[in-house]
Amino acid sequence: MNSPSKVPVTILTGFLGSGKTTLLNRILSEEHGKRIAVIENEYGEVGIDQALVINADEEIFEMSNGCICCTVRGDLIRVLGNLMKRRDKFDYILLETTGLADPGPVAQTFFMDDEIASEFSLDGIVTLVDAHHINQQLGRSQESTEQIAFADVILLNKTDLVKAEELDELETRLREMNRLARVHRCERANVAISTVLNLEAFNLDQVLADHPTFLEPEYPFEWTGVYALSPGSYELSLDDGPDPTMSLVMLERLDPNEEALQQGAEWCVRRYAEPASKISPGNIVPIDQHVELQLQISGQKSFAIEIDKQTSLALFAQHTAEEFNLRLGASDNAEVLPVLERTWVAQHEHDDEVGSVAIEVDGDVNPNKLNAWLGKLLREKGIDIFRMKGFLSIAGESQRFVFQGVHMLFDGQPDRPWGNEPRHNQLVFIGRNLDGNTMKREFEACLN
Amino acid sequence: MPKLVKNKARGVLQNGFFATVDDYPIAGGWGLNGKLFAVGDASGSVQSFDGTSGRKIWENSEAHVGGIMSMSVSSNGKQLASVGQDGQLALWDFADGQLQHRTEIGSGWVEHVAWSKSGNHLAVSSGRVVTILSSSGEKIWSSENHPSTVSALEWVTDQELSTTCYGRVTFFNTSSGKENERLEWQGSLVSLALSPDGNVVACGSQDKSVHYWRRSNGQDSMMSGYPWKPSELAFSHDSILLATGGGEDITVWSFEGSGPEGTTPGVLEFHKAPISSLAFSHHQRHLASGCREGGVVVWSLGRRGGGHALGGAPVNGSVENVYWRPDCRSLAAIDSEGGITVWRVKKI
Repeated sequence: MNSPSKVPVTILTGFLGSGKTTLLNRILSEEHGKRIAVIENEYGEVGIDQALVINADEEIFEMSNGCICCTVRGDLIRVLGNLMKRRDKFDYILLETTGLADPGPVAQTFFMDDEIASEFSLDGIVTLVDAHHINQQLGRSQESTEQIAFADVILLNKTDLVKAEELDELETRLREMNRLARVHRCERANVAISTVLNLEAFNLDQVLADHPTFLEPEYPFEWTGVYALSPGSYELSLDDGPDPTMSLVMLERLDPNEEALQQGAEWCVRRYAEPASKISPGNIVPIDQHVELQLQISGQKSFAIEIDKQTSLALFAQHTAEEFNLRLGASDNAEVLPVLERTWVAQHEHDDEVGSVAIEVDGDVNPNKLNAWLGKLLREKGIDIFRMKGFLSIAGESQRFVFQGVHMLFDGQPDRPWGNEPRHNQLVFIGRNLDGNTMKREFEACLN
Repeated sequence: MPKLVKNKARGVLQNGFFATVDDYPIAGGWGLNGKLFAVGDASGSVQSFDGTSGRKIWENSEAHVGGIMSMSVSSNGKQLASVGQDGQLALWDFADGQLQHRTEIGSGWVEHVAWSKSGNHLAVSSGRVVTILSSSGEKIWSSENHPSTVSALEWVTDQELSTTCYGRVTFFNTSSGKENERLEWQGSLVSLALSPDGNVVACGSQDKSVHYWRRSNGQDSMMSGYPWKPSELAFSHDSILLATGGGEDITVWSFEGSGPEGTTPGVLEFHKAPISSLAFSHHQRHLASGCREGGVVVWSLGRRGGGHALGGAPVNGSVENVYWRPDCRSLAAIDSEGGITVWRVKKI
């Protein structure tokens, strides 16, 4: 009667009106061969047409587990305890929280209570977002921010009610808050079931399969234009724009195709890491160098570009051409149009309290220093760190060490051997008011 | 289905019978002065077995759609009450399994049911509401919503009922429906035991502690440090001993004199898995215990809480509960593998 495998549980969060009930009904009505039990948080909620629906109250209490204390949900322990005896009647649990619920205690319940942990496994946290209202909600409520921060999957729902460019902005904002989550856009919660169930987001074996690299590339430049140029003098002109300066790297002999652009981008990232030379209007812009165009004076500003042989010149610019009305003119004043343009996901400074801190460093960490640092970090900032994931190269260990955590709960294990791969570390923290620079500096101090 | 447990009972426990049900047994109970033993399971079936031979006497395979949540036997042993996920209370004639009455309680799970001591009333809980019914299943009154789901209920006297929910134990006058008393404590309560003299209320909490109150003087205390949540509590018939299971060991507190404050509890060590059931005999300080990896032990306890094992026997699955026959000459255990094991208990 008792099968040894654990029953997976998906937590469904999202504000009232974000479409949780619609999604639940979609999942339940789909032919997926799963028998799903639903735990609902709101009494009297209507519209779920399924037999095994259990109500739960929000009973949060603090539980101590040796050296750490954290909040868990007593009601869930009881309901899940009851379900354990009936576990041959279902093979999946969907746990819907109220719009105002803090996902922290819900998630922690699956790690803190021994009995629950031995029978159920937290599969993932799915957060539904009402694309039309989330911007206001994020400004007003801590809960909606936390629901974004905890998510493994963010469903940007009701996209039909919002303009495309607003959606892009919104998606960027959500991704910056939570760089670990996958974002799917949908109308009326019409997503494939596989995008929300069986994520195994807390399974360490899966953590790296899902994110071979946690970090979606972000570039210090937003726009690239590739121009086919004959030898001669050219004039780069810019009108007034949003910033008094603009960084730029120009690259020669870059073929106008995506693959070459990608390679060029990687090369330019390193150039961008170098200090920039300031170039004032009227001067020549050097090629293959990080420069910062000085745009403080108002009106049109022009810079010179000298080309000595036929080439394909790529401009990797900090801002889009549109923002500064950037144009390239030949000596006869005729405008040269780019043969290829591309925009990049740019690094942004954002205003949200909640954000992601990503640390990527080569080398081996000293396990003692790491433990001391992580212990201190979780003691001091554990409440503010919602999720973390990553892998480490620990000195003296031949295998990668992979970890994940919720608040102060930390779970880690050795992963595959490093082999010939360069040893490096990647850590992503999602939290409130995290000081990324300090965390990075402190982590680097743990390296051997 | 599990294999028969063969001839492994030791000490005062002697093999009686072994029977099985087809799903996880949720609740059991002796009826008709120990002539029959009834079991309700997760499939929603209620059935009864001859208390001596183990022969099946009757079965209602669809007593509650979705499964049984709880059962209770009336004090005269003639009526069996069952509640289930179908939101209903059912009353059965224990002798032949005939349905006497069925009452719609609510739309959600009905989780708890208990007969009053005289057998004149029944208390059931569904979600946040407690309802009192007559012995024929007619609703008398329902409580207001508790602040959260009712996690346990127990009759104190024939006119007083106690309930637990998150952060609170409430005492109701069941005649008037008014609240007699409210004991508050910020904790998620998982178990409740009242001393038979009505003075002490003990609750196990998710935070691995046991909290208790003396109603006579309002004094309350807490015992913490359990390795596991104390989901099992039992008072001895003389109200002196409180046995608590919050881990592999059984911790027994003695309320004799000014105890248990300032005293060292008795610790009963034998089980190798967390305790999953505790029941005191009705007449003596004999305690039956079961654990999650099978195994039932009968203990003899002294007034200070110390004790020794009188006998024991293995069972296949996790012991869901143990039940003394009214005359305490038999002990029944139901387990997670669907087993019903009944032993004769030698006179000590």
